[in-house]
Parts: sequence; structure tokens; C-alpha cells
Amino acid sequence: MAIAATHVGGGIADHVHPEPQGFIRRYVFSIDHKIIGIQYLITGFIFLVLAGLLAEVIRTQLMNANGGFVSNNTYNEVYSIHGSAMVWLVVIPLMTGAFGNFVMPLQLGARDVAFPWLNMISFWMFPVAGLMLFSSFLMGAPVAGWTEYPPMSLQGEAGTSMWCAAIFLVGVSSTLTGMNFMVTILKMRAPGMTLTRMPLFVWAQLATAPLSMVATTALAGALAALFMERQFGVPFFDPTKGGSPLLWQHMFWFYSHPAVYIMILPAFGMISEILPTFARKPIFGYKMIAFSSVTIALAGFTVWAHHMFTSGLAPFMQLPFMIMTFVIAVPTGVKIFSWITTLWGGKIHFTSAMLFAIGFVVLFALGGITGVFLASVPTDLHLHGTYFVVAHFHYVLVGGSLMGIFAGFYYWFPKMSGRMMNETLGKWHFWLFVAGFNGTFLPMHWLGFEGMPRRVAVYDPQYQFWNRVESVSSYVMTIAILLFFVNILVSLRRGKKAGPNPWKARTLEWQIPSPPHYYNFKHVPTVYGLPYDFSEPLPYRGLDDELNDAPAPVPAGAH
Amino acid sequence: MVEKQSSVKGLGPGFWPFTAFLALLAIANSYFWAVTPLSRWMPTAVTVATEIDELFRVFLAVGISLFIFILGYAVFFSISFRARKDDPPDALGVQIHDNHKLELWWTVIPTIAVILISWASVRVWFPIQIASASTPAGLVVESIGHQWFYTFRYPGINGEVTGNMHLPVGEPVTLNVTSEDVIHSFWVPAMRLKQDMVPGLVNVMRFTTDRVGRYRIICTEFCGVNHGLMNKQRLIIEPKAQYEAWYHHWQIKNATASNALPQISSAPIDLSDGSAAAGQVLFTQKCSACHAIGPFSQRIVGPGLKGVLHDPAHPNLLSGKPATPANVADILQHGLQGSYGQMPTQVQNALTDKDIANLVAYLNSLK
Amino acid sequence: MAVASLPHQHAEHTEGGVDRFYEETRDLRLTGFLFFLFSDVVLFSSFIFAYLYLRNSGQSWPPPGIARLDVAFAAWNSVVLFGSGATMHYALENWKHGNFNKYAGSLIATIVLGIAFLGGQAYEYTHLYFVDKVSWAGSGIFGASFFTLTGMHGFHVAVGVVYLTVLLLQSIHGVYTKDKYFGLTAGTLYWHFVDIIWVVLFSIFYLI
Repeated sequence: MAIAATHVGGGIADHVHPEPQGFIRRYVFSIDHKIIGIQYLITGFIFLVLAGLLAEVIRTQLMNANGGFVSNNTYNEVYSIHGSAMVWLVVIPLMTGAFGNFVMPLQLGARDVAFPWLNMISFWMFPVAGLMLFSSFLMGAPVAGWTEYPPMSLQGEAGTSMWCAAIFLVGVSSTLTGMNFMVTILKMRAPGMTLTRMPLFVWAQLATAPLSMVATTALAGALAALFMERQFGVPFFDPTKGGSPLLWQHMFWFYSHPAVYIMILPAFGMISEILPTFARKPIFGYKMIAFSSVTIALAGFTVWAHHMFTSGLAPFMQLPFMIMTFVIAVPTGVKIFSWITTLWGGKIHFTSAMLFAIGFVVLFALGGITGVFLASVPTDLHLHGTYFVVAHFHYVLVGGSLMGIFAGFYYWFPKMSGRMMNETLGKWHFWLFVAGFNGTFLPMHWLGFEGMPRRVAVYDPQYQFWNRVESVSSYVMTIAILLFFVNILVSLRRGKKAGPNPWKARTLEWQIPSPPHYYNFKHVPTVYGLPYDFSEPLPYRGLDDELNDAPAPVPAGAH
Repeated sequence: MVEKQSSVKGLGPGFWPFTAFLALLAIANSYFWAVTPLSRWMPTAVTVATEIDELFRVFLAVGISLFIFILGYAVFFSISFRARKDDPPDALGVQIHDNHKLELWWTVIPTIAVILISWASVRVWFPIQIASASTPAGLVVESIGHQWFYTFRYPGINGEVTGNMHLPVGEPVTLNVTSEDVIHSFWVPAMRLKQDMVPGLVNVMRFTTDRVGRYRIICTEFCGVNHGLMNKQRLIIEPKAQYEAWYHHWQIKNATASNALPQISSAPIDLSDGSAAAGQVLFTQKCSACHAIGPFSQRIVGPGLKGVLHDPAHPNLLSGKPATPANVADILQHGLQGSYGQMPTQVQNALTDKDIANLVAYLNSLK
Repeated sequence: MAVASLPHQHAEHTEGGVDRFYEETRDLRLTGFLFFLFSDVVLFSSFIFAYLYLRNSGQSWPPPGIARLDVAFAAWNSVVLFGSGATMHYALENWKHGNFNKYAGSLIATIVLGIAFLGGQAYEYTHLYFVDKVSWAGSGIFGASFFTLTGMHGFHVAVGVVYLTVLLLQSIHGVYTKDKYFGLTAGTLYWHFVDIIWVVLFSIFYLI
């Protein structure tokens, strides 16, 4: 790699905003990516609790084959909002808005994202959209799942239209964030940070951002069409008026398949930071992990109809979607092997972050393997629409994405707050969670094979035993998550002071105070290498004053 | 500040014995699936189900074996390379970044695996989804999804059959499925096949029954508040004689007055004043499931109808008569049992005389 | 840590006559704006896909009872719109060369032609609705796709007309200089985008 040119003054890197004054400007309508990231984090966790409570309503109803905890209709509303909230109000905002916003600019050596004001607007759409989504309970929430297939969704009560509007709004937020991140990563890296010197978390955000930007807009079209048909009678999907129910499925899944990559790629990036830090060795196969992230993101646009193998696609169309879905297994497998090889030969410290990272690799791998059963058309003809599918996506989204979020939280909490989390509580969280999680979702694989369909408020009694095992296990998971929140609250008040680099990590965010100053860096550093080689000095120049009493950079006047 | 590096002899202590142990588990797992038919947990009612089960077992053998290695190595490396209490605080792991040979192998081998899984899947997929379209249709049956039950139509039985679905054992069957209201799905776990029942579309399942028994029919596509109850009907596969008896029973049942649909009028229908626009709406609702607006050869169940009244090259109607509006109306009125299947009567399709006039006007407007 | 507050000086950004801060932020804004246009293309593409999918699903086209669209009228209206694209191009070129009057004239011409296009669309809509009895919700997928897509496009043209008017007023008030005129560049890009979308819509509704 060429040595970076010396930094020429006067550009964005030297342009520091004055520190914001007053509570509103500092913490409410902040344009600081770090504050916005924490706002996304808090809001996302609130929705995690709400959507998680909905999950416990589901599991309590399913304790008994003939239901009875709630009415069938309420049950249908509950699982529909549970799924919608988890996807659009929890995982996507946490992965991109929370961790992407807080960490990525710091790892780039930037002072903020490309469009800080737009970043603030993007955030505030999120809680509004969330309120809108939950308000649908007051007007007849949607009942046809997070996928809302017509004609069912055409018949839904007013809450279905509210669902369209809420998801549309959070989609706009997501699109703007994707655009913001694309420009930030492409244009605002510190001098010397070529693409192949970027940390892998940034690579993950770079692969995710175009998905947020492009795929979400396709969903906006679908939602707008459904809304127009419901409210104004404009026919797109109603077959009695010439429309096509399958059209919705194409438009919806063209977004929603890339959406699952939005939900997992940032977690891949987080794991790629955490494993080397706590194994005290470089990430194995940096280039392959970076390259495979981009490959997965692009290939993710070509597989959407694997959700439609039983819908009535022309049979020959099934073939390319099946093959492409298998193909995506290759770059994904490469990552899993690279992560395990990162453990090999390490000096491994089992912090909570590391436990969740290792757990992620194993449980996500299992979820990926069950994906093969669904990718292959002949086996999917049996498994589609059953609990096997529910098992698969919970392994990748909970065993994968949510565990990744926990790992990232334990890792970056010290940087955000200046305090350490309690490690004992963290370990209890981990082990209880893993036990509860597997007890909840493992039996779903065979229940699905043996004939239990999904989205049912009542079911055949032969499945009751395993459903009870699953429900009890889910209560264990709930306790584990409660421990996590207790840990956060306790640590915010009484956690040990963290210092700038409690993990002795090497990416740029760990070379400045915890929490960082509003201006991030006194001097934007120059980067001349990858951060993962622990036996070498840090590959940065210009960081000498970050941790001492040297004055803050001079802020520019208002523009 | 340069920190001390650690080194590892070979691949670490116990690596090969542990690998051998994992290999043993993987072989045991693969052997288990090789010898255990899945019918132990779910019977197979049609010939293709056994082939699909074989594919399942291949995936179970390979997938679980792969997981054994992933879980095994993750746990083993975590334990064997953990930081010990007496390690210096700045102790490091082995500072390797990559190993091109290893990375090449673990890209090539999964790629080969993907090719093999693809081949294994296409091998089973092709006969089910592609080749079956050109094999003899056998017994052609329809199922229609409703909220929240299935009805069935059989050739030669008026109206719809309710309750359980019967099929003779050992015979090829073509099952066309559609819906009257919202999307449902027709799944018989014992068949390992399902197709969604989509209003406005007809989806097809082709299979050969091969095991007598009673099998659950289950809806797997959310269809409303009682979706969880749409699993009470059974597919009953039985010897031919018993099937015939059941069939006969329904023929008679649907022909008697209490269950019969109103009589077809005997007079020819007045075709003046038909509305082509109304006819198009009707066509989409009632006909598009089986007929496309396209050339004669573009067949769904019945032939394409774009040129039926205007294309001089269009063959005679399947009733043998020339393609005139009056003859088309006659088929709409009386139905037709032909080589392509059964064209329902005016009564079965719930078409008034005016509806027929509108449909004929619509067909007449297609040029 | 004392934080000194100096009044902002443009000179501190400028080296050798180049305002680095402006150049870098312009680069960010241009990239961001292009990404925004790209995502808008995806929005139109999703509805274009819907239209082509529905049209291809075995229906006769146009459906019976619906007359073919008036290609000649729409072609003239297209010429108006494409002409406004040309005048917009000249507006920007004239600005870059410092010819304020020619710039303003071209920009006003663009706005007028944009309004004329919208007028043409309004005429077409009223003709379809009152004479041909084709409505948004009552004419099956023909009305649904035609009015939705051309309506979305018309909305984008209307927003563009407002945007260009704002640009005109801003330029009169001296917001833009010979070297710093990103707003005008963005306006020009947006206007060309609207033209390109129309090329596609005209082809798929009127020509095939």
C-alpha cells in the first residue's frame, strides 16, 4: 500500500462545529453521530422489550393446543406486530442506526457522518414510526404476519393501513441512513485509510448501506400500492379486479430478502472486530471476509423468490433462485471458517462480548445449515409455511443478529459510557440465554417436519409437549434478557471506570477517551496499515495528543 | 511497543485426536441417516415422497456433520487456546493473517459441495416440477380453498365434494388447486408436497399415490382467524374398489334434489346486449384459472381463448362444432366433458344467462 | 480544556485559491444527491415492474372498453418536456460562463415548459376521466398503473418546478457565485432525471 500523502489543511477534517449548548441541542435534537447512535440504541431496546413481551404472549398462548390465553384474532395481531417490530424497529435500527452511527465514523477517523442534520431527521422518524406501528393495536392491528399477503391484507382493519404508513416511514429513515453511510464511508475516511485498511465493521456497514438505500425503496413502492388499494380501491393485488396476489409477493420479497442481509451483515462486522481483540491475534482472512460481505450483499438481490417456491411461480423460474441461494452459502461458509480459525492459536479471554461472539458463530452456522433445507425446492415443498421456517429464521435472527447485538453492546458499552459492564451478570445472561434460546427454537425443526403449520393460534394436540418445552424455555430467555437490562442500569451508575481502551483493541475508536469528546479527534490521524496485527505498533500517526491535556481543536464559526 | 508472541506446535495439543473424534461422530450421524427412513416419523403416501425423503436424509447427514465440526472446533479451540492464569498480561496469540492454501481449499470444497447439493436437488426437482407436465395426467381432481375448509371437484360429479378427499391407491393424479377467497395452501405432509391456493391462479400438483391410509390435509398459509383449524379434513387413499364406491356415492348425492344445483335452462341464450367490459371482469374471476387470453396452444387447463371467435385458423371447439358465438355460449351453458378435463356447466360456474352473454361479448371483442 | 472561539474566516479554508472545505462538502453533497436520485429510480422501477408484470399476465391490452391512449398528444407533450431539459442544460452552461441574463431566461423557459407539460398532463387526465371514463380505481389495472405511474412522475415534475423557481429566486439574491453553485447543479441533475423517467414511461405506456 502506498504511504499516505501528508494531510493538506482546510478541509472537512479540520472543520469542527462548536460544542452544542443546552439540553435540547445536546441530547434531544443532536446532530452528533454518537448521541444519535445512543438514541437509536435506547429506542431500539425499548422496542426489543415491547416486541419481546409480544413474543411471550405468543409462547403463553401456545402452551396449550387449544389456546385460550388470548382470542385467535388477538394472537394473529400479536405475532404480526411482533415480527414487524423485531425486523423494522429493533434489528435493522440497532444494526445500522445504533452501532453503525456510533462506531463507524470513529473507526474511519472522521468527525461525524456526511450529513449530520439528515442523520438527526432519520433518527426522529424512527420512534414516530414505532408509535404508529404499535398504535395499530387500537384500530385493529394487521393479522397476516409481517409479510401481509393480499388478499388477506386487503381485508384487514384500519391497522393494516397504519402498518403500511409506519413501515413506509421507518423505511424512509433507513434509506436516508443508508445513503448517509455510503457517502461517509466512501468520502470521509482518514488520510491513508484505503478501502483495504478499513476495519471489518466498516466493510460490513459499506456492504449493508446500499441494501438499505436500494432495497428499502422497493418496499416503499409495495407499501404504497397496498395502501392505495386498501384506501382508494386502486387495483394492484385483487384478482377479482385484474390484480395479482403474486405481484405483492415479488415486490415484498425483492426488498425483504436483502433486508435479512441488512440484519446480519453488520453483526458479521462486529464479530470480526470482537474475536481478534479477545483472541489477541489478527482476524484470519481479512480480505476474504471483506470481499465476501460485498458478494453476499450483491447476491442477496438475486434470491428473493425462494420465499415463493410454493406460490405458483413458473416451475422453471424456481431453478435459478434455488441455485443462487445455494451459492450464497459459499461466501458465508468462508466467513464461518475464518472466524473459527481466528480462535485457533489465540490467547482467548472469555469476556461477555467474546462469549456472545463465539455463540453467534455456532448458532448462526446452524441457522445457515437449516437454510439449505429451505433453499432446495423439493424439501421446501414440504417445509414451507411450517414451524421449520420459524426455527430457521429465529436461529439466524436471534442466535445470529440478536446475539451479535449483545456482543457488540458488551464490547462498545465502555466506549459509549466510560464504564464497564458487570462480567458476572454478563456470563449469567449468556448461559441462560443460550439454554433458553435452544430450548425454544430447536424443537421447532421437527415440529415443522411433522406437520405443525406456522401462524396458528391453536394447533393439533400431538404437538403440545414440545410447545410446552419451548414456552418454558422462552421464559428462561426472558429472564436472561432482564438480567442484561439490569446489568446496563447497574453499570451506568456503578460500573468501574473504563478508560480509553479497556480491551487493548487496535481500531481508532479505542485510541480516544471513553466517552469520546464531541469532536472525536483533536487531530484527524493518518493511517498506514491494517489494525489487526497485535505485535506491531499501532498503524496511526497523529494520535499523540488524544489522551493528554492538549486543547480541543478550534471550532469554526457558523456557516 | 512490541508485545511478546506465542507460538503453537503443529496445530496445537490434541488437535488430531479431537478431529478423529469429530469425524467419528460425523460418520455415526451420516450412517444413522443413511439407514433411517423418515417414514418412521411421517409416512410417505406418494411415490415422489420417498425420493424427497432421500434428499432430506442427505441434507441431514451432511448438514449435521458440518455442524458437528463447527461446534466441535469452536469449543475445542476456545478451551485449548484460552488465556491461562499464569500468562503474562500482554500475551498474544499467533500473529497470522491468512493462509492462502487453506482459504483456497475452504472455498473450493464448499463450492464443490454446492454443486453436488444443486445436482442432488435438481435430480429430484426436475421430475416433480418439469417432467411431470408431459406425463399422462391420470385422474384430474380440483381442490378449492375457502375460509376455512377445502372442497373438491371430481370429473363426473356435479358441484363440489365436501369432507374428506378420496383417491385410489397406485394411480397417477393431477391435482389443480385454487382459492375462492384468500390465499390458502394445500399440504399433505405424507406427500411431502404443497401448493398455495391463490385466487385467480390454478397451481398444479402431480403425484402417484402408493400407500393406503388416512392423511391430514393442512393449510400452511395464513388465511384468517381460523387458519389454525383448517386441518380437520383427511386425504384417504384406498383400494380402487372402495374408492369407486365413495365416488359413486357422491355422484348420486350431488344429483339428487336436496343437494343439486338448479337446472340448466334448455333454451339457447339471448346473446344481444352483452357487455364486453362486464365479461372481462367475469372472465378474470371465473375463467382465468383455467383459460389464458392467448393462443389456443397456451393451455392452463383448457385452451387459450384469445382467438377463439376471430382467428380463422382456430380449430373447431372441443365439442366438435365450429367456433361461433352461439356454440361458445352452448358450452358455457351445458359444460363439456372433453379430453382436457371438465368444463363446468353454467350452474356449476354460477353463471346467469346475462353473464354468458357478457362473456361471449368479451370473447368476441378480442382481436 | 479551554476552547477558543474564533470567528470563522473563509481564508483559513483556502489554499492556493481553492476552498478545500467547499470542495469536499460539494463532493459529499453531489454523491449524496446522486444516491438519492438512484433510490428514486428504484421507486419508479418497482411500479414499472408492477405494471409490466400485470400487463403480461394474460390480459388483452388495452382492456376492452378502453380506447388506446392518445399517442400523438403525449408525443407533443414529451417534446415540451424534453425541450425543457435542453433549456435547463443551457441555463447551467450560461451560469458557468457568467451570462446571468441568458441563464435567467433559460431557467424561466424551463419553468414555463415544465408548467406547460403539467398542463398537458392535466388535459390528458380530464379527457381520460370525463370522455373515456377511465379512472384511477375503476378501470382495473389499466387505470391503476397508468395514473399511479404518470401521477408519481407528474408529482416529481411539480416538485421540480417549485425547486427551480426557488433556485431562480436564490440566484437573483446572490446565493450562488461563479464558483459555488451546487444548488443549480443539483437542480439540473434532478430535471434531467425527471426527463429520463418520462422517456421510460412514455415508451411503456404509449409505444408498446
